[in-house]
Amino acid sequence: MRVRAWRRHMVPYLLIAPAIVYLALFFAYPMYEGLVLAVYDEDAVLPVRAEPTLDSAEVAEIPQGGALLILDRQSQAMIDDDGATDLLTEQWFRVSGTGDTGAAVDGWVSEARIRVRSEDAAGNPLAGTVRPRLGQSADPLTDVHAEPNDRSGVVGRLEQRAPVEITEVAVLEVWFLVRPADDPGEAAGWAPSRYLQVFDDGERGRVHRGTAGEFTTAFIERMVDDRFFGPALRTTLLIMALLIPLQLVLALVMALVIHARIRLSSGFLYVFALPIGMSDLAVGILFFSIFTGNGLLNSVLDGLGIIDGPFAFLTAETTNWIIFAIVLAELWRATSIVMVILVAGLQAIPDETLEAAELFGAGYWQRVRHIMLPLLRPSIQVALILRTILAFQVFAVVIALSGGDVVTVLANESFRQYYDLRNDNVASAYALFILLLSIASAVFYLRSVRAESEVRPT
Amino acid sequence: MSSTAPADPPAQADAPATLPPLDSPEVVEMHRRMRRRAGRGRRLTYVAAVLIAAWILLPIYFVFSMAFTTQETVRSYPKNVLPFIPFSADTMQFFLESEGVLRGLWNSIVVAVITLVLSTVISIPAGYAIARYLFRGRDLFRLSVLAVRAFPIVVLSIPLAVLFLRAGVFDSVYSLALMHTALALPTSILVISSVFASVPYELEEAGQVFGATPFQSFRYIVVPLVLPGIAASGLFSFVLSWNEVFAAAVLTIDNRTLPALVLTSLSYSPDAFQFAGSFFLMVPSIVFMFFIRRYLFNMWGQVSK
Repeated sequence: MRVRAWRRHMVPYLLIAPAIVYLALFFAYPMYEGLVLAVYDEDAVLPVRAEPTLDSAEVAEIPQGGALLILDRQSQAMIDDDGATDLLTEQWFRVSGTGDTGAAVDGWVSEARIRVRSEDAAGNPLAGTVRPRLGQSADPLTDVHAEPNDRSGVVGRLEQRAPVEITEVAVLEVWFLVRPADDPGEAAGWAPSRYLQVFDDGERGRVHRGTAGEFTTAFIERMVDDRFFGPALRTTLLIMALLIPLQLVLALVMALVIHARIRLSSGFLYVFALPIGMSDLAVGILFFSIFTGNGLLNSVLDGLGIIDGPFAFLTAETTNWIIFAIVLAELWRATSIVMVILVAGLQAIPDETLEAAELFGAGYWQRVRHIMLPLLRPSIQVALILRTILAFQVFAVVIALSGGDVVTVLANESFRQYYDLRNDNVASAYALFILLLSIASAVFYLRSVRAESEVRPT
Repeated sequence: MSSTAPADPPAQADAPATLPPLDSPEVVEMHRRMRRRAGRGRRLTYVAAVLIAAWILLPIYFVFSMAFTTQETVRSYPKNVLPFIPFSADTMQFFLESEGVLRGLWNSIVVAVITLVLSTVISIPAGYAIARYLFRGRDLFRLSVLAVRAFPIVVLSIPLAVLFLRAGVFDSVYSLALMHTALALPTSILVISSVFASVPYELEEAGQVFGATPFQSFRYIVVPLVLPGIAASGLFSFVLSWNEVFAAAVLTIDNRTLPALVLTSLSYSPDAFQFAGSFFLMVPSIVFMFFIRRYLFNMWGQVSK
């Protein structure tokens, strides 16, 4: 009996569990990641170390992009290659041959000191000779090291041109001893080549990529400083300011027409609702076909003799026309959903209320003004919130009508940063900005409407 | 409605004595005035209805006729808007034979079908729970689902793209379908819950009274009643995925869906290609609207509650 009660209690939770897990995985977690991307730089700083090994102590941190002086270089066993392609590497050969004293020598020599004379079929070196050193003062002998590292002990020396067998090859990554160029007082430290960019003279360079993260406002600053940010924000707000009032009026007219229950009402409802399911890109192209140079509008205007020759509506010189076309396209596309919300609201108004008003001599407009509109207030509020949030996301319509450069909007800038400039962080900053604007506008509508209803006498 | 209402006032039986009798001249005159006004309003309503229908249908008609004509006509100016544009499959053929289009169409279908199945399968239990059980956290769940629904797609696409890239499932129709399911899920849950709520629980109980197990009464009583509504919600998910362009363009490179393909080729594709593309993008939504007419208010009307 107890088990059964427990089961009954758990049933609804089990039923909603898949939805919750799915939304957590593919909605909440990415949202969180997006937030982090906008304010956290994963590659912000590069720690440099006391010794050219990963396990030695950090002596300093240098920010990404910081200019460096290179003091020394040394090869070290490679860190696991995490797909890095910009490695400065060196090969060392394990060689065996006869040393200058006549004893057998077996140890490691840099590839710079050995000329490979024979290779196997796969291209692996098998044997070679020691390269001679040029110049009269140069040491004629070559050191052979115990390990593939020129700081390790010398186990023997080889004459120049001595033949050797190559038994093993090691690929080493070059580490650099660096110090920030603008701060000579800072301690110098070692860093592997994969995180550095070394300039041609070999004495200077910069931090190419850090390994430690840091919270930063750099991405947000970059977004605000971007030359498209201002125009994008202005255009988005302008479109919204023009669109939403028009949309509300048109939707109200549509809703009243449907609510009047004329003949063929359900047919009209189908037609009026058609744009709800339409792709915004398709609608953008639809209005492009109307406004383009040889499009419908010019053809009609020309046919009526209003203009002679096509007028170019969609060019960089006519941004106002582009914005007009965008507003019209959005009005066409997104008014239907407002209409559906308003029709649902109208249906909730009891017929008796309207009939009573009619009996008392209220004309149609008086009924609309004094009964329907006040009772529609919650529906209008929902419609406003929905439309405002969606208006921040206008995207495909703008690209279809303007190409995305002449007239741009916030969502398009997010896309540009991600797609053209490959900058995830700034793209996320834009996304975060759109999110904040959406939340702010929703809160604004909710509060303003609630405040009004609170002061109204009941 | 307004024309029929005043003819027979229901208050007749217990009307106060002060009201004039119904056949007195002033009452007759009032009725005549109201009916005339209503008739005029009626004509105005028809005019408005036809005008709005034209505003919606004419652009669709124009772009469709552009999608089924010759490429010369698409380029020509001025176009003979009346008497209409010559019909030809030329533009459509050009579009379908363009590189990547058939593949894009196929990708779009795959993504949309996965989205449909996945979102429906997850939404049915969740919708049923909201409609049938009172449990702690129910309102919170409903509200979160509503909030998720209003969230901007842009905000979700970019971090998801980064995550998919890290996980090595980037540029795949399957990961795009996962994203589209997340977008379709909230609406799907709410619609399905309202569909379940429209079937009285008493019916299920009655089945159990007559000896059916809870599962049987669900299977044989509830399922047939809710099936059309669930199909409508599935169609909604399909169309949402078919239309979705921002995430599709961000999350794919080689495996473009149709809208992503059309979007990213906008700057260099000829007009004929774009018009034919917009035809393909619109067709499912027109079919969809036809089938979900009855559920229109289940889908969007209920937000106001």
